[in-house]
Amino acid sequence: MFRSTSLRLAVLYTTAFAISVVALGVITLLTTRAALSEQFNARIQSEAAALTQEFRTEGLDGVVQAVRERDRTPGALDYGLVGPDGHALAGRLAPSGAVIGWSTVQTAQRDGELEPIRVFTVALPDGYRLLVGDDEERIEALDGAVLRGFAWAFAGVVILGVVGGYALSRDVHRRLAAISSTAEAIIDGDLSRRVQVRGSTDDLDRLAETINRMLDRISALMESLRQVSSDIAHDLRTPLTRLRQRLESGLAKEGERGEAIEGALGDLDSILETFAALLRIAQIEGGARRAAFRATDLSQLARTVVDAFAPSAEDARRSLGLEGEGPLMIDGDPELLTQMLVNLVENALRHAGEGAVIRVGVGKAHGAPVLWVIDNGPGVPTAERERVFDRFYRLERSRSEPGHGLGLALVAAVAKLHGAQVRLHEANPGLEARISFPAT
Amino acid sequence: MKLLLVEDDKEAAAYLKRALSEAGHTLDYAATGREGLMLAAGETYDVIVLDRMLPQVDGLTILRTMRASDVKTPVLLLTALGGIDDRVEGLEAGGDDYLVKPFAFAELLARVNALARRPPTQDVQTALRVSDLSLDLLKRAVTRDGVRIELQPREFQLLEYLMRHAGRVVTRTMLLESVWDFHFDPKTNIVETHMSRLRAKVDRGQRHELIHTVRGAGYCLREPD
Repeated sequence: MFRSTSLRLAVLYTTAFAISVVALGVITLLTTRAALSEQFNARIQSEAAALTQEFRTEGLDGVVQAVRERDRTPGALDYGLVGPDGHALAGRLAPSGAVIGWSTVQTAQRDGELEPIRVFTVALPDGYRLLVGDDEERIEALDGAVLRGFAWAFAGVVILGVVGGYALSRDVHRRLAAISSTAEAIIDGDLSRRVQVRGSTDDLDRLAETINRMLDRISALMESLRQVSSDIAHDLRTPLTRLRQRLESGLAKEGERGEAIEGALGDLDSILETFAALLRIAQIEGGARRAAFRATDLSQLARTVVDAFAPSAEDARRSLGLEGEGPLMIDGDPELLTQMLVNLVENALRHAGEGAVIRVGVGKAHGAPVLWVIDNGPGVPTAERERVFDRFYRLERSRSEPGHGLGLALVAAVAKLHGAQVRLHEANPGLEARISFPAT
Repeated sequence: MKLLLVEDDKEAAAYLKRALSEAGHTLDYAATGREGLMLAAGETYDVIVLDRMLPQVDGLTILRTMRASDVKTPVLLLTALGGIDDRVEGLEAGGDDYLVKPFAFAELLARVNALARRPPTQDVQTALRVSDLSLDLLKRAVTRDGVRIELQPREFQLLEYLMRHAGRVVTRTMLLESVWDFHFDPKTNIVETHMSRLRAKVDRGQRHELIHTVRGAGYCLREPD
C-alpha cells in the first residue's frame, strides 16, 4: 500500500499544496501589515492636522473642547494637549518629552494597564503641543486574524490531502490489484479470466478493456492452435491408416508391389496436401499475413483466375465466365485472395454438375467491394450453409468425391483476415458464394 | 554439372547424393553451414542446393554471407517450413528458387537444371528460336516454319517459358509459379489443359513434335533428334 504510486503522488501533491498555502500566508500577512500600518499612521496624522486647524481658527479653548469631546467618544483615538510649561491641558496622553513627530509612549488605559501607544506629536503656536495616538494592538489583532485564517486553511489542505490521497490511492490500488490478480490467475492457467471493467471510460478502464481484448485474441489463437492439433490428430489418421494398409499389402503380394508404391505415393501426397492446408489456415487465422497486404485489383485477380480455369471448365463441359467491371482496388494479400477465389471456383466446378454455368464477378454493393461466384448447380441446403466453412466438413453427397474438406475453411480464413463477410445464398437455381469486403 | 549440397540430415543427403550422381552431376557435400560456406567461397559450382534449417549457422545466414562476399552461384533453397512468408524471405535473402520439403526428386532435378543453365548475364532477348519454331517477344508473334500461330496470352507465356528452358524438363509447379503466379496447387488440371491446347496449336500436323511430356516429371520442349 505505501509503495503504491498513487499514494506517493497524493503525498507529493499535498506537500506541494501545503507549502504554497504557507507562502501565500506569509505574503498576505506582510502586505496586510504594511497596508494597515500606513492606514493607521495616516488616520493619526489627519486627526492631528484637523486639530491643528481647529487651534488656528477657534484658539486654545476650541482645541481643548474638541479633545474632550473626542475623548468621550468610544473607539476614538487617544489625545493629549500640553501647555508651554509642560502641563497636560486635556486628553489622556501624557507629555512625552520634547519629541516632535513619531514616538511610542507607555500609557495607562481606561482599565489602568500600561500599553504602548503610537503617538504623533505636533507643535502648535505659542509653545503648545498636540499629541494624537492609537493603540498598536489593533494592528497586531488584525495580524492575528489573518494568521488564524491561514492556519485553518493550512489544516484544511493537509487533512483534505491526506484523506483524499488515501481514498484515491486505495481506489487505484484496488483496481490495479484486480488487474494484477487477473494476470496471476491467467499465469496459473485460467485463460477465461478477464479484468473487471467499471464502465467509467477512464484511463484505467480503457487499460482494462485493452487487456481484455488482448486476452480474447490470445484465447482465439490458442483455440485455433488446439483446433489444428486435434484436426491433425483426428483427420490425418484415416489417410495414414489407408497408406499403411497399402504398403502392407504391397509387401505381402510381390506382384502388386509397383502398384502399391504408386498408390502409397498418391496417398502420401494427399496427406501432405491436407497438412499444408491446415498449417496455412492456422497461419492465416493467426493473422500473421497482414504484413503482405498491398493495393490489389480484385477484377484483375478475378480475370486471372477465370482465364486460368476456363479451358479446364470447358473440357469438363461447364462454362466459366466473368462479369462486372474493374478496376476494383482493395487492400489485401493478392496471393491469398487468389487462392480463395480458386477454391470457390473449384468448388463450383466440382459440385455444380455437368453443363453448369458458373459466373465469377466483382462489383460494389453500398459502396463496398464485393466478389461473387454463382453457379446453377444443386446448391447447399440452408441448414448446412454455415457449417460448410468448418474444417473437414463435407456435404453427404460429396463424401465420395476427392477433396480434403478444407477448401471453404481456407476461404473463410482468408475472408476473415481481410475483414470480409463470406455468405452462401440461394441463387435460384444454384448457389451464390458472396464475399463482402469492408468499404474503403 | 558441379553441385554443392548443404544438408544436415545425413539420410536425406545420402539419397540426394546418389540420385544426383545418377542424373550425371558431380556433387560436393557439406553437413554444416560453416563447411558449406567455406566450400561455396573456395570452389566454383553451377548450383548450390542449400537446406534452410541447419545447426549452428542457419541457411539464410549462409546465403546472406555468400551474397555479401560476392558469390553469385544460383542457390536453390530447401525448406521444411511451408509458411507463406518463408518463400519471400528466402528469395529476399538472395535465393534463386525455393522448394518445400518433402518434394519429388524429379522436381528438384528440374529446378536444379533450370537454375544451372540460366545465362549469367540477363541479356535482353527479343526473339527465341527452337528448330523451326520462333517467338518474337516484341511483336508477341509466334511462327512455325514461317506460318503464323495465333496464341492466347497465357499460351504465349507458357510457350515462352518452355522455349527459354528448351531442352530441359519443366514441372507443373514451375509452370504454375512462373506463368500464373500460383504458389499453391489447384486440384484442377489447368496446366494440362493449357498445355494440350498449346500443343494442338504448335505441334498438330507437324512432322516433328517439339513439346514432349516427361512422365512423372513434367514437360520438355526440345529440338527434334
